[in-house]
Amino acid sequence: MKVSRLMQSKVTWAVIAEALILIVCFIIRPDFFSISYQPSTGMLYGSLIDIVNRSAEITIISMGMTLVIALGGTDLSVGALVAVAGAISLKFLRWDVLTYNTPGDYTVYPYVLVIFVPLIVCALMGLFNGFLVAKGGMQPIIATLILMVCGRGVAQILTDGKQFTTGYSPFRVIGQGSFMYLPMPIIITIIVVVAVALFTRKTAFGAFVESVGVNPSASRLSGIKADTVILIVFMITGLLSGIAGLIYSSRIMSNDSNNAGLNFEMDAILAVVIGGTNMAGGKFSLAGTVVGSLIIRTIVTFVYYFGIVSEATMAFKALIIAVVIVLQSEPVREYFAKRARKKEGVSHA
Amino acid sequence: MKKVFLLITALVLLAFVGSASADVVIAFSQIGQESDWRTANTDDLRKAIETHPGWKLVYDDAQQKQENQIKALRNFITQDVNYILFTGVVSTGWDEVLKEVNEAGIPLLLIDRLPDCADRIDYVAAFGGDFVEEGRRQVAWAGEYLKSIGKGNQDVNVVIMEGTTGATAQTGRTEGNLKALKEYPHFKLVGQQSGNFTRAEGQAVMESWLKSIPKIDVLIAQNDDMALGAIDAIKAAGKVPGKDIIIVGCDSVKAAFDAIVAGEMNCTVECTPLYAAFVVPTIEALERGEKFDKSVIHPAEDVFDMNGGIDLGTVKSIKAADVISERRY
Repeated sequence: MKVSRLMQSKVTWAVIAEALILIVCFIIRPDFFSISYQPSTGMLYGSLIDIVNRSAEITIISMGMTLVIALGGTDLSVGALVAVAGAISLKFLRWDVLTYNTPGDYTVYPYVLVIFVPLIVCALMGLFNGFLVAKGGMQPIIATLILMVCGRGVAQILTDGKQFTTGYSPFRVIGQGSFMYLPMPIIITIIVVVAVALFTRKTAFGAFVESVGVNPSASRLSGIKADTVILIVFMITGLLSGIAGLIYSSRIMSNDSNNAGLNFEMDAILAVVIGGTNMAGGKFSLAGTVVGSLIIRTIVTFVYYFGIVSEATMAFKALIIAVVIVLQSEPVREYFAKRARKKEGVSHA
Repeated sequence: MKKVFLLITALVLLAFVGSASADVVIAFSQIGQESDWRTANTDDLRKAIETHPGWKLVYDDAQQKQENQIKALRNFITQDVNYILFTGVVSTGWDEVLKEVNEAGIPLLLIDRLPDCADRIDYVAAFGGDFVEEGRRQVAWAGEYLKSIGKGNQDVNVVIMEGTTGATAQTGRTEGNLKALKEYPHFKLVGQQSGNFTRAEGQAVMESWLKSIPKIDVLIAQNDDMALGAIDAIKAAGKVPGKDIIIVGCDSVKAAFDAIVAGEMNCTVECTPLYAAFVVPTIEALERGEKFDKSVIHPAEDVFDMNGGIDLGTVKSIKAADVISERRY
């Protein structure tokens, strides 16, 4: 690919932004990049691993969000579904909360239920969103607002407004376990990203999504079942929010209906936008979204690692994101693409 | 048949007498069920007022929305209740509705979170936690504990994990933390960051600190949730929580007791949600015609740790394992 084409791609600029942040980290403290082996957990240990590990929830959710945005919509309910998934699994893990007072290594329910019921419920809730949009003709932002508001309430009711803690070690594996020296959330993220990429790019589904996003009526006339596409996309997003919810609750070994997934919808939308997918719908980039999610987490880790005072944290994050968005703006990309084109022109002559 | 008739008459009479004597109506506008702490707070007050002879409770759960609370307060005025218990979900924007309460002449009792306009309105009594003292106790416990194990003269690196920036509990506890740090010259503050009062963020902040700060001896977490999150991060770094790093939490939730008994956490400073023990006698006294000044009444709070017996000046720590079975929240 020619440099001028690369310069015009938003994904390139997302990668450049991430690289710039990491270079700044390296200049301030080179040991930010140190990675060592931690024998007690059997995992690699370092800030870069933390960034990828802690971005898992947002990366997974934003895989679904990318498709929703490519359809021209947004899904605001993802954060609430994270809380729902956590509440259901903890409900199963701690059904015995009155019998056994301390969180121990036992569950009275088969482990399958702890994992699959939350995922099924979240997928169904996603399907409900899709149903309102496809069959009810509602704006996605309004349709998903319903579950955004009441999802957290459902989670509260399920757990009687309480925060359960569990010690059940098979549950710990999801968020704190390891596989091939890597934290389990990273492995799950890789599986999800590859699965979504294969599903959208190796089948015609990705093209259907882009087509519906650009013009639903035209795609319907050309034989694409727009309703089915919308239903599937929202169901996938619901399911992925459920997976993120399990990771979140496994990390803290408890449900936190008030805070689990709080503002995740905003982070996921931001990841998709930084990744170069247009909010108006149409073409989407899963790779860009992954980079977007990493940028968001790198900023958070930067704040923690270098001890930015907590009062300034928000302003600092906003500043970096503003810089990233400006870097990606049409005039900046066009300027660099032009320069690259000139160079290419010179070398050809 | 006659007996049944008599019984019914007796019951009807009893019910009549019962309703006639239920003359003190106490209305309670609660924020909503935002945390275990809040749930315990609600349960405690509701139970105490509902079971009190001669009192009747009108309870409203605002589901964390200010407009719901304003609506509830206006309803209370229309119902002409005898007392209003109030805690605001946010600190500002209460002037108008609380003045309406004043104009209606209904005695107002402020609990837990005091509104900004507290000095511009009339209230008969106020109850609330002493966040500055809680913050002081956290640092003082670490200092006195280290003295008690003979490490009082060693240099100690302290990190403070703060709550949600701007929350009254965060500002108060930070003030207390920083004030108390000055009393222990060997304590050096090496990190200060917000963990937003949640387990997940507490974990992430600790995880980064363990990599960026070469040596951490004491973690002061402004609530137990963040401390519990940090414990997992410390384990993941191959360190032993409670031994390599001393962990002091705040709030005294059940999960913190479990962690202390398991030896993974060292201390938790209490912030009690059980207000009934103060509110009920106060209302009884008001009924008798007694008056209270405008100063805030602080509930008595304890400090719980692994072994007990650490003297903090105002209070002596209690061994967590001894009282864990009595904890209700």
